Amino acid sequence: MSSNDNHHAMDEARAEVASAEALESPEVVKAATVAATTGPRRSPLVTLAWITPGTIWLLLFLIAPLVMILLVSVWNRTPTGFDAFAFSVDSYGRLFQTSVFATTLRDTIFRAILVTLLCVLIGYPIAYYLARCVKAVKFQIALFIVVLAPFWVAYIVRIVAWNPVLGRQGVINYFLVEIVGIVDEPIDALYFSSLAVTIVLIQVYVLFMVTPIFFQLATLDNASIEAARDLGATPAKTFREVVFPLSLPGVLIGCIFVFVLVMGEFTTVRLIGGGTIQSVGTLVYDYYKLPDLPAAAAGATILVAVMTVGVAVLLRFSKIREVV
Amino acid sequence: MSDTGLVLKDVYRIFPGDVTAVSDVNLEIANGEYVVFLGPSGCGKTTTLRIIAGHDEPSSGTVTIDGELMNGVSPAKRPITTVFQHYALFPHKSVLNNVAFGLKMQGVDKAERETQAKAAIELVGLTKFMDRKPRELSGGQQQRVALARVLVTRPKAILLDEPLGGLDRLLQMKMRVELRALQRELGITFIHVTHNQEEALSMADRIVVMGDAIVQQVGTPEHLARHPRNEFVASFMGDNNVFHGTVSGSNGGNVIIDTDYGKVEVEGSAASGSTASMAIRAAAVKISTDAAPATNGVRVRLDFAEYLGDSVKLHMDLDGKPFIAKVPEDRYAEVRALEGKDVTATWAAEDGHLLEQ
Amino acid sequence: MTIIWYLVALAIIAIPFAAMVFLPINKSKPILLVFFLLFIVFMYGPMLTMGVLSLQGTTGSMTLPAKELFSFHWYSELQSTSSVMVSVRQGISKSLWLSLIVAVITAILSLTLGMAFRRAFRGSGILFYAILLSLMTPGLLLSLGLSFLLYYAGIAKGEGTVGYLPIIGVQAVWALPFGFLVMMSVFNRYDARAEEAARDLGASSVRTFREVTLPLIWTGVFGAGLFGFTLALNEFERTFLVSGSIITLPLQLYIITSSSVLRPYVYSLGVVTILISFLLIALFLVVSAVTGRKTTRAIEDDDGGSMNTSAMQAAPSGD
Repeated sequence: MSSNDNHHAMDEARAEVASAEALESPEVVKAATVAATTGPRRSPLVTLAWITPGTIWLLLFLIAPLVMILLVSVWNRTPTGFDAFAFSVDSYGRLFQTSVFATTLRDTIFRAILVTLLCVLIGYPIAYYLARCVKAVKFQIALFIVVLAPFWVAYIVRIVAWNPVLGRQGVINYFLVEIVGIVDEPIDALYFSSLAVTIVLIQVYVLFMVTPIFFQLATLDNASIEAARDLGATPAKTFREVVFPLSLPGVLIGCIFVFVLVMGEFTTVRLIGGGTIQSVGTLVYDYYKLPDLPAAAAGATILVAVMTVGVAVLLRFSKIREVV
Repeated sequence: MSDTGLVLKDVYRIFPGDVTAVSDVNLEIANGEYVVFLGPSGCGKTTTLRIIAGHDEPSSGTVTIDGELMNGVSPAKRPITTVFQHYALFPHKSVLNNVAFGLKMQGVDKAERETQAKAAIELVGLTKFMDRKPRELSGGQQQRVALARVLVTRPKAILLDEPLGGLDRLLQMKMRVELRALQRELGITFIHVTHNQEEALSMADRIVVMGDAIVQQVGTPEHLARHPRNEFVASFMGDNNVFHGTVSGSNGGNVIIDTDYGKVEVEGSAASGSTASMAIRAAAVKISTDAAPATNGVRVRLDFAEYLGDSVKLHMDLDGKPFIAKVPEDRYAEVRALEGKDVTATWAAEDGHLLEQ
Repeated sequence: MTIIWYLVALAIIAIPFAAMVFLPINKSKPILLVFFLLFIVFMYGPMLTMGVLSLQGTTGSMTLPAKELFSFHWYSELQSTSSVMVSVRQGISKSLWLSLIVAVITAILSLTLGMAFRRAFRGSGILFYAILLSLMTPGLLLSLGLSFLLYYAGIAKGEGTVGYLPIIGVQAVWALPFGFLVMMSVFNRYDARAEEAARDLGASSVRTFREVTLPLIWTGVFGAGLFGFTLALNEFERTFLVSGSIITLPLQLYIITSSSVLRPYVYSLGVVTILISFLLIALFLVVSAVTGRKTTRAIEDDDGGSMNTSAMQAAPSGD
């Protein structure tokens, strides 16, 4: 067959393929996927019946409290609480009378970013090890359960458990001074300190990073990685070009979780920080106890605003990555 | 051993737990050849392909390309690329970036790799879809992106793992022609894995039939269809009737086999008294209402005449065992009238084929 | 000087990440394995230390080295008649009852929402995000907001009249996304054709739900409930400001740890709650294993089938 004939055959085949493919255009495929559901047909009334209990519960115990925070922050303070629908923004003024709130807010944001980054640095390799280095599925599930189990322990207990580890006479100092002997004096920075709070926060929240990354990596198509290797990519390039971009949604979800939860932290900071370390959460609690409920609400509102901005930035960041 | 082309020598692959996936594979594939690995699932064909690509290493044996030993060479460094079973396109990259990926990995600068990638995309007729993401393409289009992605790196050979598996039948037929034409145009070795006999017969220069982890037979499509070496190939290629029996004597260059269904005569030689089996292709079987001859003929009941467009496949019953024949399409009315009746199936001794035991 | 130490620590923490990025998987694997083991120590070490310290004798202290190992003194202390221990025991029983109620409510809410999400409906997106929002709302804020609501409603003005509803409310909201996701995954694997067949055969939708749907998904519902139980049992921050005079076990622990003088019974109490949690996980795993067995068996049969295909193909087909 001459090469001319070949071209001819190719063109002909292509034209025919084009017509055959009109039938399976992406739009048709997409429409079919959206319509595919797991449930039988039903009337709108039945749908309403199914969503009602959950919706009412969420409105009452999630949405209403959050709306209430916003409202109380702009209501007048009274000696025991607040005066509903008497609007004033004094509460915000009271927050910024001294520099304490602003400084604490700055420290809290800084701590949240730091813990988030460290959680990525620690959580990603753990998820990667579980998802890609452990081959046998049964073993993988078992290890994942072992990793995840601490999540089910009351986190107040997990915080209490750090008591004998940190501290002047804690395990770490005991280890450093008595056994290794690299320091002569116990390190004071290990208790009632920013360092101690950071360590415990990582331990408490790192699972929120490991889990979504693990699921993303475990469902990642192995063939994509082989294809990249096949096309000449080095391990580092394969990671950068294929594995990491494809796991990015998991990293993003993890970052959002950790950032938001650390921003709103109260218990760890209170119990490990021992009053010397503050977060917006502990300040809000202090105002609540005063009681200055509108100021507590104002602090909480600012906290939510910062979280929202943080999440928006994270989402924006991921969009940019996708374009590049 | 040839020092051009791809050579597999004494290749074994034994998985942990003593599962033998590939055993004693010896193959020479010339440059520019279209070779199809054919076999049922689990026969070792995909493992062989992965060993060639470097995604798996043989437990023993060697793989050489143009005389150069490939054992231990990473897939990235082999002059071979794979079109994966479900295409394995990068879902986060556009068609253009998918195709340009291989060149990017080679360090080709951006302008140059885009020019080359665009040329490859044009070759497969997808210029319009260059900026789309893979999920926005149909199955056939994704298939062609996968092809363009490997073509652009100018490999010495392209491996295709069930490349038509995800497509509907109509599209499969078109893509067969397209792939074959593309391969001839480029002159690159294509090694194609499939479990579909029809696909293998229609596309290959040579077919490698694999079964039970070994190479059962290698040959041109025509040779395999006419001369299956053993019963595995005969039954897997389809449209063969197989008889077992005992050799009772010879007649010239023919050997006579006593079977449960009468004597059959077939070209070849075998020791008298040994067990033997033979195959007869459906297309070589003649159907009539005459009485059965002493040899090379059986009485069968015609159950069903299946109209195939260009021929009619007859499903018959030989004492409870299926027996098939193929007759030209213009005899459909005639054979249809015979459904449910007993007929005689005969064949010429030279059309029969002695199988290896 | 300290900053240098911090940078050194950061560099060490970054080693496994760098190994993962720059090395091929077979070379990075040992490094990642070591890191994984260190991670396990990091996660379990404190709890283990606490466990060891809870087994000290009467003179036991709050820090290492442990004294008079091994004795169950601090466990028997949990049964003493001192006022602290009496309230601890009350806390435990209250928490268990509350968790049971929350478990039932979580199961019901997850089931109904799971059923709702089997077909697309208007506003499903908003509802979905509302459910997930609960995962991302810091506990203290939820507690704070609800306490405002209670104050506004005038309930919180007299102590002791708050009742259990707010606690159950926030705890169920916290458990809901987990239970919901369990139900979603159940319905993802679920074959609706059985229901369609039941409808075809003349069953009403209520009957179909009772006779076909529920028996097929009850383990999922049970799983959702178990999530509810465990999460409620361990919940602290959300309950913190709305509990009124009701002291749950985690609240009791907070009160004890916030006080100045700590004795090792804090550790034995911690160990007891850990054991309860792990018992619940084990229960959950057993239940999902029992559920999963049916599907798994089908899959394994499939595998066996494909493994044997070559043998079947090779078997004489023409005789």
